[in-house]
Amino acid sequence: MGDAHRRVGDFVRLFSDAFYSQEGSSLSPLLSVSSSSTSPFLLSVADGLAAFQDWGRLLKQVDGQLEDILSHLLRAVQSFRAGRFMDAYIAFEKSANAFLQEFRNWESAWALQPLYTIAYEIRVLAEKADWELGSLGKNPEKLKGAGSYLMKVFGALASKGPKRVGALHVTCQLFKIYFKLGTVHLCRSIIRSIETARIFDFEEFPLRDKVTYMYYTGRLEVYNENFLAAEQKLMYALSHCNFRREANIRMILKYLIPVKLSLGILPTEFLIEKYNLVEYTRVVQALKRGDIRLLRGALLEHENRFLKSGVYLVLEKLELQVYQRLMKKIYMLQRLKDPSKAHQVKMEVVVKALKWLEMDVDIDEVECIMAILIYKNLMKGYFAHKSKVVVLSKQDPFPKLNGKPVGA
Amino acid sequence: MERRVGGRGGRSWRPRESGGGSRPAPTSSSSSASYGDRWRPSSSRASHSASKSGGDLREDLEGSTKVRLAEHVADQDVSSLVGTCPDMCPAKERGQREQFRDLTVFERLNGNPQKTSSALAVKKFCRTMSTTNEQPSDIRPLPVLQKTLRYLLDIVDSSNHPFEVIHDFVLDRTRAIRQDLSIQKIVNNDVILMYEEMVKFHIISDKRLRKNCGKVDISSLLHLNMEQLIKSLTSLYDLYVINQRSSDKNYNEAEYYSFNLILQLGRNRNSISLWLRKMSVSILQSKEMHFARSVLRHLRVGNYRRFLKIVAADSSYLQFCLLEPVRAQALLCINYGGYKLHPYPLSHLSHILIMKEEDLESLCHDCGLKTCKDEAGHLLLPTRQEVSHMPKTLQDFGFLASEN
Repeated sequence: MGDAHRRVGDFVRLFSDAFYSQEGSSLSPLLSVSSSSTSPFLLSVADGLAAFQDWGRLLKQVDGQLEDILSHLLRAVQSFRAGRFMDAYIAFEKSANAFLQEFRNWESAWALQPLYTIAYEIRVLAEKADWELGSLGKNPEKLKGAGSYLMKVFGALASKGPKRVGALHVTCQLFKIYFKLGTVHLCRSIIRSIETARIFDFEEFPLRDKVTYMYYTGRLEVYNENFLAAEQKLMYALSHCNFRREANIRMILKYLIPVKLSLGILPTEFLIEKYNLVEYTRVVQALKRGDIRLLRGALLEHENRFLKSGVYLVLEKLELQVYQRLMKKIYMLQRLKDPSKAHQVKMEVVVKALKWLEMDVDIDEVECIMAILIYKNLMKGYFAHKSKVVVLSKQDPFPKLNGKPVGA
Repeated sequence: MERRVGGRGGRSWRPRESGGGSRPAPTSSSSSASYGDRWRPSSSRASHSASKSGGDLREDLEGSTKVRLAEHVADQDVSSLVGTCPDMCPAKERGQREQFRDLTVFERLNGNPQKTSSALAVKKFCRTMSTTNEQPSDIRPLPVLQKTLRYLLDIVDSSNHPFEVIHDFVLDRTRAIRQDLSIQKIVNNDVILMYEEMVKFHIISDKRLRKNCGKVDISSLLHLNMEQLIKSLTSLYDLYVINQRSSDKNYNEAEYYSFNLILQLGRNRNSISLWLRKMSVSILQSKEMHFARSVLRHLRVGNYRRFLKIVAADSSYLQFCLLEPVRAQALLCINYGGYKLHPYPLSHLSHILIMKEEDLESLCHDCGLKTCKDEAGHLLLPTRQEVSHMPKTLQDFGFLASEN
C-alpha cells in the first residue's frame, strides 16, 4: 500500500515540477497515456492507482488548474490500464481541455512538445474508444470529438506569437483524423488558413511537419486529379523525408507513382521492387507494351486495394496512354516493313490488334479511339472516315507527355 | 397556429431537408406573417432555389454521413414527436387552404377551387417547421405517410395532366412526407423503401421532364428536381448507415449507391475517388456498381462510342443530363481529328451518336459547326472547322477540359 502511494505521489510531484519549471521534454512522457503498457514508470503508476483507492487525496496540495489536469489524467491512466478505453478517452479529453486553457495563457512556446503529445494521445485514445463503442453496438463518435478538440488547439496556435510554428503539427494530426473518418472536406478550411493566413510562413514550420502536410495535401490533389499540384507536393514530401524511413517513402510512392504515370513518367523496376510496390508492376508493363488487356487485368487484380487508396480512377484513365503506345508499336512495325507507307494505319489493323488482345471492338469504336487520341494530342494526324485510315503526322506523330497531363 | 419558430429546431439527421439552409429564417413572428410563409406557393420557392449554384448540390453528397449520423444518434435521446394525423392532410390545414383557395387541381372536390376532402388533400411542404411548435395532430404517422406516398405515385402513373403540373405537385408533397418522417425521426426498413421510391420518382422525372415538356422552359424545373433528388439521395445514404446494424434490410443499397456515381459523372471536379474509398467492398462489387463504374470509365476516357452504346442498351435511369455533353464532345473530337477532304456523313454519325439526324444537325449548329449537303442531298459535317464556341451544356462538364 505504501508503495502504491509513493508511486502515485512521485508522478504528481514529477508532473508539477515539470509543469511549473516549464520543462516540456520532462512533461511530455507523463502525458503519454497510451504508452503506459510499455513504459515501466507509467505502468507502475497505473497499478499504484488501482491499489491506492484514495489517490485523489494526493492532489490536495496542487492548485486548481493543475489539479484539473492531473486528476483527469490519472483517471485516464487508470482506465486505460483497465482496458476501459471509452472512459480513458473521456477523462483524457477533460485533462486536455484543462491543459489547453493553461496553454493559452503562456506567452512562450515551451509547452508545444507536451501539446504534441496530447494531440497524438487524444487521437489514439479516441480510436481505441471508438473501437470499444463499436463493439458494444454504439455509435463511434470519439474520433470526431478528438477532431473538434484539435480544431480548438489549432485556434490557440494560430496567433502571431512563437506558438504558431506548432500549427502545422496539429494540422497533420487533424488530417489523420479526417482521412480516417472519411471527412476530408473538413480539411479545406484549415488548408486555406495554413496557405493564406498572414501569420503563417510555411518555411518556418518544422521540416517533419512540412513533409507530412505535403503528403496529405498531395493525396487530396490526387483525388481531385490535379496531377501537377499532386506531383509538386508529393515530390516535396519525397525529397525532404528521412530516406531511412522506408515505410514512409513507400506511402508517398503509392500516390506519386500513379501521378507520374499520368504525366507520362514511368518508374524503374528497381524502384518498384525496392519499395515493394508490386501492385504497379503490371500497370507499368501495360503502358510499356501498349497492352490494354494487361492494364485491365492489373486493375482487376488489385481493384479493392486501388479503390481503397483512391488511385483506381487515376490508373483507369491510363487507358489512353496505352492506346497511344499500341498505335506507336503498329507504326514502328509498319516502318520496318515499308517506311514510305508507315504513316498510314488502316483502322482494320487496329481492330485486329485489339481483337487479338481479346478486346471486343468494332471499327466505329476504333475510329472513336483515334479521334480521342488526336483530340487529346496523344497522336498527331487525322483519320479519314471514308477510307478507314489514320494518317499520322510525319513529324513527331506520338508526342510525349513529358510531365504534362493528358490533354493539356 | 404558431407553426413557425426559427424553423431550425426540427432538424434531426436531415439538416438540409427542412429547407431553411440557404434562406435566413424570417424574424417576424406575427401569425399572419407565418401564414404567408407557410402557404407560399411552390412557384416562388422555385425561383429562389433555382438561383442556388450547382456547386452547393455537390457539397451535399460529399458531406460526411458519419458527422450527421453522430448528430442523429445524439438526438435520439430527446423524445421525438409521434404523429396522430389520420389523413393525408391535417384537418386544420385543409380548412385553411379551402379558405385561401390554395388547392391544386388534384385536390379540388368536383373541380371546386374552394372545396376539398380528406381523400384529395395532401399536406404541403412547410419550409419553416419546428418540433417544438408542431402538434402531433399535424404530423402523419408512418402508415399514413406510406399511404400518402402510394397515392402520389399513383397520380404520377395515371394522371392525364401535363407532367410538369404533376411533377410540381408530387415534388412538393413528397418533400412534406420526408419532413414528417424526419420530424418523427423514424428509421427503419419501411422508411428506407419510401425514400428509394421518392428517389426513383425524381430520377424518372428528370427523364420525363426532358421528354414531355418540349415547349415549357424546363431548366428551372430540372434544377429543382435535381436538387430534391440529391437531397433525398443524401438522406437515403444516411439512413442506410443508421440502419446498418438492423437485421431488417429489404432494400437495394447497391443500386442507389450506383446512382450517385452516375449523378457525379458529369461533374469532374467532384472527387469520386474519395467517395468510392468510403464504399464497402460488397457495394463496390455489386453488379449495379460495376455497371455504373464501367459507364464512368468510358465517359472519363472519352470513349463516346462505347458510352452511348451501353446507355442506349440499358434503358434504365442513365439518360440523365449526360447524353448531350457526350455527343457534343464526340462532335468536337471528330471535327478535330477528321480528314478535311472527307466530310463526315451525318447519317453514320447519327447512328454512332444514337440520335435522329435532324437533332444531330441542330446539335452541330449548337456546337458552332456548319453542315452541308452533297450532290445527292445527304447531310455532311465538314471536318477541321474552327470551333467558334462551345455549347452551353459543355461548360460545366469536366471531362472535356484538360485535367489541370
